[in-house]
Amino acid sequence: MTAFVEARGLTASYGATRALEGVDAAIGRGEVVALLGENGSGKSTFLRVVARIVAPNGGELLLEGRPLATLPRRETARRTAYLPQATELVFPIRCLDLVLQGRAPHARGFSADSADDRNRALAAMRACDVEALADRDASAISGGEKRRVFLARALAQEAELWLLDEPTAGLDPRHRLEFLELLARVHRERGTTVVLVTHEIDLASDIADRVVLLRAGRALAAGSPEQTLTADLLRRAFGVESRIETDGSGRRRVVPYAPVKGSR
Amino acid sequence: MRRRTRAAGLAGAAGLLAVCVLVGLSVGGVRLSLSDLLSGAGPAGETARLVASLRAPRVLLAALVGGCLALAGAALQALLKNPLADPFLLGTSGGAATGAALAALAGLSPLVSPAASFAGAVASSLAVAALARRGGRLDLHRLLLAGLIANAFFSAVLLGVFSVASGQTARTMLFWMMGSLADATPARVLALAPYAAAGLAVLLAFAARLNLFAVGEENAAALGVDVESSKRIVFLAASLLTGAAVAFAGIIGFVGLLVPHAVRSVVGNDQRTLLPVSAVAGAALLIAADAVSRAAFAPAELPVGAVTAAIGAPVFAWLLLKNP
Amino acid sequence: MLACRAESGFSRSGPAPAPRRVVALAPNLTEIVFALGAGAGLVGVSDYSDYPPAARAIPRVGGLEVSAERVASLRPDLVLATQEGNARGPVSALAAAGVRVVVLPTGSLDAVLESIRLCGDALGRRETAARLVESLARRRAAVRARSSGLRRPKTVLLVWPDPPQAAGGGTFLDDVLSDAGAENLLRTRPGWPVVSPEYLTTAPADVLVLPASPENRPIFERSLSAGALSRGTIGRARVVWMDEASLSRPGPRVFDALEELAAALHPAGERVSP
Repeated sequence: MTAFVEARGLTASYGATRALEGVDAAIGRGEVVALLGENGSGKSTFLRVVARIVAPNGGELLLEGRPLATLPRRETARRTAYLPQATELVFPIRCLDLVLQGRAPHARGFSADSADDRNRALAAMRACDVEALADRDASAISGGEKRRVFLARALAQEAELWLLDEPTAGLDPRHRLEFLELLARVHRERGTTVVLVTHEIDLASDIADRVVLLRAGRALAAGSPEQTLTADLLRRAFGVESRIETDGSGRRRVVPYAPVKGSR
Repeated sequence: MRRRTRAAGLAGAAGLLAVCVLVGLSVGGVRLSLSDLLSGAGPAGETARLVASLRAPRVLLAALVGGCLALAGAALQALLKNPLADPFLLGTSGGAATGAALAALAGLSPLVSPAASFAGAVASSLAVAALARRGGRLDLHRLLLAGLIANAFFSAVLLGVFSVASGQTARTMLFWMMGSLADATPARVLALAPYAAAGLAVLLAFAARLNLFAVGEENAAALGVDVESSKRIVFLAASLLTGAAVAFAGIIGFVGLLVPHAVRSVVGNDQRTLLPVSAVAGAALLIAADAVSRAAFAPAELPVGAVTAAIGAPVFAWLLLKNP
Repeated sequence: MLACRAESGFSRSGPAPAPRRVVALAPNLTEIVFALGAGAGLVGVSDYSDYPPAARAIPRVGGLEVSAERVASLRPDLVLATQEGNARGPVSALAAAGVRVVVLPTGSLDAVLESIRLCGDALGRRETAARLVESLARRRAAVRARSSGLRRPKTVLLVWPDPPQAAGGGTFLDDVLSDAGAENLLRTRPGWPVVSPEYLTTAPADVLVLPASPENRPIFERSLSAGALSRGTIGRARVVWMDEASLSRPGPRVFDALEELAAALHPAGERVSP
């Protein structure tokens, strides 16, 4: 079975710094894949290479078996939605317009202006519970609301693949839960493939079908959460000693408790 | 709703332009009376006709130059995701003026100077872009810095040329450096018009992409825009517009900076609306500034660049204070 | 350059009618018009036109940068401009608006004579101009004959003392200097170069020519006693004061100044050194 997205020996750099040193990873259609690794391990870079924001300088990256670089940008943009960790909005922009930008890859000249586009955008905003914010300035809403607006944008984009860079970082507990609920619902309804970069090991345990552990620009391990989120692999990936526990509802919890001495 | 805003914005700007055109035609060192112009009788009629035929190309030139500068400024602000970006900050005007000055110094005919000016504008844009290249991509922060450096360099060259030039060359240098709409003839207006039209057409075609850039370059890339190619095209179009404006009117500052700002606060930042409305508003502003330059100390004329700076610098300072 | 717009002769249909409303955009052109006897037709002159005295009563149209509208409001049928002294913008705007503009050459004494001739053509005073040009040319030739063969003092002519600005090569004053029998030390620098005071302290100048008016003479004198002109070789050079009004305008009076300068440089009785 061909993976939906497959990376083989993928390398990428920022100028002189090598961020990815030969990553192998396979993502199946409809899967939720969590990418974990310490800071600088290349997780965000991997997402950005798949989103075609950064060009790789070696290895292969395939979408349904075809090299990504040979596909027209607009086509991959129709199928891939990227949610960055933070977006600084310098100019005023209405939330509805921000969501409409998700329709841009589908529109002629990137100009999404039709009634159909607006309807899809509003429907997406409704699904994400941000329809009330349609006319508000996106640079003036809270962090949590902004995340949901960007999620609405990804919905409006009708992408099959979502690339989420630390989507719960900085959210207060309520907004975090609301976001995760929304994500789960939409994923269920549409069967979207989700690649999610996160620092939250337990989140990966809970929602991911597969986990990929990155270290120093390479994939250290890939597999189910039980297979990859072991004390041994976590020690090698993060340099921390951890305990594996089971909580009251029978879920597997990972508790890092001490940094590994002398390894950094 | 956006369509309504666009129509309303254009209508508003067009109305403003119409008012400014009327003001521009009627204001100046010499009183122009409409009745004299229409009756055309006697010495008064003759004067009126002559003054009108001096003012009309001047108002048209001001409109085109103002439109070019405002349009270039708006596009650059979106491209660089920086509300303080301005064609002059990027060294384009300095390069244009230097190209023209060197051509004059070499004794080339004044007919060549618009071409020399474009060459200077594009050359300096390419040089600045090359300085800002980083790992194969155009780094937008380095672009602003490179533009500042380029401006410093070109100012030095211009002043150097000015100090060794003599007579007509020195006089022309002053024109480049201070900005002036005094050299306005129907031929020059017709010469400038195609460049303004071309620049407008290219930028309008890229307006939707610029909306994506305005949220971020990565944002544009993720949504399928060919970022490197778009950056190059927009930057080049803005440079051509700026070079054309400088070739025909010398260095006039602040229009590219402030007009998009003002228009944005009224119609928002949708480039499909902001670009055309800024062009029309820029035309109106420069006509008004030129009218001031002709009327303030009549019959002497101020350089129009001095008028835009006198208004623009305090407004710019206020903007800086408002946005820390 | 603007010279291509200059008219140089009669139109095909015969002599053009004498213009009745003339605007002169430079003071030397005002003087030329009066010298040709056409002063009564002047309706507008540039700001610094003060000679002959009758010129002071004529309405002004602007200084270095004239106002095209102001000129237009005078309904001229002829506008006289200089190639170097007038900004191109207003002049070309007027021409494009249909006003008859004649641009006169600058840069040498030959250009001055040519300007007088061209003005004569434009004003319908050909014969007067021809006579004037002939007489001025004769006087010039006489000065040149007298000063040829005499030792040429190394000379600097400063049009302004601070910062020191000299008459360089390719100017009508350079011609005046060389016709009067001087060697212009700044001939190799074109136009009106601003020279450094250091240069002046070491320049091998025998003579310093200073064209001054009653108003600005004190400034020159200050520079001579304590300023840039007081030190080194330039401080020891012989000073020849000239009347600024006749020397600084490329018009008929410059030839008076030429004779005066020649006499000052080579007092009568000086003979050729073999």
